[in-house]
Amino acid sequence: MSEKKQRSIAVLCLALLCSVSSRAQQVLRWGADPSGGAPYVFTDPANPDQYIGYEKEMVEALAAHMGRRPVMVATDWEAIVPALERGEFDVIVNGLEPTEDRAARILFSRPYYVFNLQLTVRREERNIASLEDCRNKLVGTLGNTAASRLLAQRGIPFRGYADPVAAYRDLELGRLDAVLMDVPMEAYYARDNPRLRPAGPPFRGGVYVIGLRKGDEALKAEVDAAIEAIMRDGTLERILRRWNLWDAAQAELHAAMRKGEEVHYAMTAATFNWGDALKRLARAAAVTVMLAFGAMLIALALGLLLAIGQSKDGGWLSALCTAYIEFFRGTPVLVQLLFLYFGLPQIGLALPGWLTALVGLGLNYAAYESQVYRAALEAVPRGQWEAAYSLGMSPALAFRRIILPQALRIALPPMTNDFVSLFKDTSVAFAISVWELATAYRELANATGEFLLLGVVVSVFYLAMSLPLAHAARRLEQRQARRRALQLQAAEATT
Amino acid sequence: MIRALNLYKSKDGKQILRGVSFEVASGTTLGIIGASGSGKTTLLRCLNGLERIDRGVIECGDVRLDASLADVEYARRAKLLRRRVGMVFQHLHLFPHLSVLGNITEAPVHVLGMQRSEVEREAQELLAEIGLQGVAHRYPESLSGGEQQRVAIVRALIMRPDVLLFDEPTSALDPRRSANVRALLRRFIAQGHTMIVVSHSIRFLEDLADHLLYMEGGEVVEHDRAEALLYAPKDARTQDFLRQAR
Repeated sequence: MSEKKQRSIAVLCLALLCSVSSRAQQVLRWGADPSGGAPYVFTDPANPDQYIGYEKEMVEALAAHMGRRPVMVATDWEAIVPALERGEFDVIVNGLEPTEDRAARILFSRPYYVFNLQLTVRREERNIASLEDCRNKLVGTLGNTAASRLLAQRGIPFRGYADPVAAYRDLELGRLDAVLMDVPMEAYYARDNPRLRPAGPPFRGGVYVIGLRKGDEALKAEVDAAIEAIMRDGTLERILRRWNLWDAAQAELHAAMRKGEEVHYAMTAATFNWGDALKRLARAAAVTVMLAFGAMLIALALGLLLAIGQSKDGGWLSALCTAYIEFFRGTPVLVQLLFLYFGLPQIGLALPGWLTALVGLGLNYAAYESQVYRAALEAVPRGQWEAAYSLGMSPALAFRRIILPQALRIALPPMTNDFVSLFKDTSVAFAISVWELATAYRELANATGEFLLLGVVVSVFYLAMSLPLAHAARRLEQRQARRRALQLQAAEATT
Repeated sequence: MIRALNLYKSKDGKQILRGVSFEVASGTTLGIIGASGSGKTTLLRCLNGLERIDRGVIECGDVRLDASLADVEYARRAKLLRRRVGMVFQHLHLFPHLSVLGNITEAPVHVLGMQRSEVEREAQELLAEIGLQGVAHRYPESLSGGEQQRVAIVRALIMRPDVLLFDEPTSALDPRRSANVRALLRRFIAQGHTMIVVSHSIRFLEDLADHLLYMEGGEVVEHDRAEALLYAPKDARTQDFLRQAR
């Protein structure tokens, strides 16, 4: 994401530079998400520093009619409306569907494309023939689209993805039961995949429009006129035919325009209400808690083994444990999660997202907990080992009954603090589409624009869980300090 | 009965023990005296198998710990040796996370596999015997130094060792308490225990030990019956030490 941001900043700078150098010609800055963006706009596989796509060609045709020079601004699909509002670009051209909530924030041009939706399943799927069969299945789609709203409306469990590639791959890996996507994407990313097949015929989804900032009425008029122009002179049809996107629905749209008929389209409404949002947030909070506890359990168990392994001086086991610890502490947990989620399926191990996050965070935190254990074990005086040995205990028994219980007491406060960190770190699971608090925040806020209010609610969820824990850690620390002082006093009294 | 034959031990390139030999007959008490750094404590740790000897043999009952044994076998026999030799450390090393009762019953239950209820009953008896009624459920940190020491003694005693080792039992105690400890050790002698007591205090060992052993520079300078060593020392070095100590 940050790479995408960097790229968009770079493109933005370039755009600014160009606009300064050629003041004579006005630019048309258009925002689109090129990652997994075929066939709309995407990186040319044959020429990686160039974007291609039918919408890119369309924008070029529009800009030519408007007497402007098109400059593309790469942006993130899910945050594309806020980016427009911030003025990062002037228009959204990215297969944008008119919706009621968007209508409240931005202007729409006239429609330029009619899209259908297609449900896709794995080839061997027997139980899903249409959307009706998905009641208790998990369906993947792009976040914040007509498709995702349709699924929400019908009460079908779904997961919103940032790009279609990830959705279809998770379908292949069995992490999803079906994928619902606009036909242009389905045609490009799924139709030729031998492991997938369409379930049922495509059905009417809606239209694509160009999005503009509120108040940019003059630009809207310009854009509308340009759309009409390229429809009239057949430019758009030629582009769509070249991309295999021309069909009866497009012909209908073109005909209506030629006749001067107003094209009516139904706007999908976001099914957002606060009761529903809080319910979804509560579910996300439960997932967050589950991730934190599950990962901590793994971290505590594995961390202990690592600490023991590392304490065996000199052997290959010690070296192996040290390598593990250095690796997991020296690389970002986000990268580790992405590796587990996307890398492991390549060797045939496809875990569901939540399990990947749980295991990934557990493996990562095990490296940290091992060091807490190590410090705590070293803090137990040598005399305790010797006293245990002198009573005939084996090293294992001495460790289990005498050393470990004392080390755990020493380790408890730092471990509680680590648990608070882990708790917050579960938010990286958003990178692999796990429905936890951070993901919930991003998706709900993007869908509604309620970044502020939802942000407060989500923060309260986090605080409600992390503050008591942090408090408990502090109390444990204080109790230990008091006990140490007491022991010191007792020791002084005897000498 | 415990016997040491020609023990050698070096640590960090320094020779600590140089050919130490002695024998303690069953039911008798040996006092080991010597200046700090003479090797007394290291000797005790070797007798308990906490440190590996470089050369020599330690024998206790049917356990024979030979320096020439391979590591694994040495460790196995050292463990057997520790079952026969109990140790009361200078700094006690009570287990702070366990109650007094827990400290005492831990090893009988988990090492000897004895019934917990039976061990607890015996522990209570032993505690009562040495004047520690009512502390069973307290934690070591809440006990006085003298009480802690008696707990450490009971902890070693309940394993029924053939030989009890004491490392500087009076170093942390005032004179009145140190007299109490001596009275306690006397009672053990009367009960027929075999003991080795390391102390820098000659007064403490006087009329407690049957035999005394004076160490200097890791060697046994003189080993004799207590009164003979105290009142008619043969070696000039022993005479020097006694003169300075008195």
